[in-house]
Amino acid sequence: MNDRLDQTRQQHYQAHDLLWGFAPEHLPLNAPAWVVEALQVEPPVVVRRAQGTAGTIAVGVRGKTRDQRFACWMPRSAVSHSVQPEQLIEPGLAQAHRDWPLFKALALLAEPLDQSGLRWGVTGSLGFQLASGIEVIHPASDLDLLLRTPQPISREQAKAWLELIAQAPARVDVQLQCPAGAVALAEWATSRSQVLLKTQVEPLLVDDPWAVEHVAP
Amino acid sequence: MQTLSFQFSAGQPAQGRALVGCVGSGDLEVMLEPGTSGTLAIEVVTSVNGSDARWQQLFQRMFSEQQMPALNISIHDFGATPGVVRLRLEQAMEALADD
Repeated sequence: MNDRLDQTRQQHYQAHDLLWGFAPEHLPLNAPAWVVEALQVEPPVVVRRAQGTAGTIAVGVRGKTRDQRFACWMPRSAVSHSVQPEQLIEPGLAQAHRDWPLFKALALLAEPLDQSGLRWGVTGSLGFQLASGIEVIHPASDLDLLLRTPQPISREQAKAWLELIAQAPARVDVQLQCPAGAVALAEWATSRSQVLLKTQVEPLLVDDPWAVEHVAP
Repeated sequence: MQTLSFQFSAGQPAQGRALVGCVGSGDLEVMLEPGTSGTLAIEVVTSVNGSDARWQQLFQRMFSEQQMPALNISIHDFGATPGVVRLRLEQAMEALADD
């Protein structure tokens, strides 16, 4: 009973949500020095796709470089506030560098995404920067987007999205959030075999991401 | 970006080619081609610096379980976890068998 209650609470935060309140005292002792340093500006941490024990959330700390990502656990009680990728699509949020390719890509895709009626948001480095004000993007940054797709998207639809994305001036990585996990739009559109579904528990190769209901630990 | 090379002993060259995976965070692309008899050669281009030992460990564990055919494996990594790497390599081997 308690377990089930905790799982329900766990689902309140979803992969890619940004959480504030993570402090050095929550780190394991073997954490590299750069992680402690990164936490000095009180950045948000990013919710990961992993099952925490009761009362903890799987999160990642971001450092300055691409290989500085540290996976750890955040006590639920330490979360002061959170932001979802959907809250990061207001164009006004980004004032500087509007001429960078990833912003142009975002401007190109925002309207068709809104018109699709699906919930979508910005993740990755741009999401982190829009939420925190901490500068991590650069002129060659990719654009990472999350599209919430509780209902199946056909491969034809996915191909149409991919064609639109191909016109964008930056590399765009769109993840489709299905009920059981996430699949890359590009793979769903083009793969002739199984596709990789990243679930809360483990990665799986599946024929149809929407046919997988729920992956229990 | 860093390019890493690994070599393991293998059997006869494999037949056919395979390309699986996806360019995107947390994923990787795997390309298999027939290799030189007796050698499994792997080249990994990764955005994660300083990961040599972890790749070596992962491959060692995977390829000590079975005799592999001679292959040139080319991996383009975007920060995939060991679980994803293993799955993609298995998928690529299966695609080769179906070819």
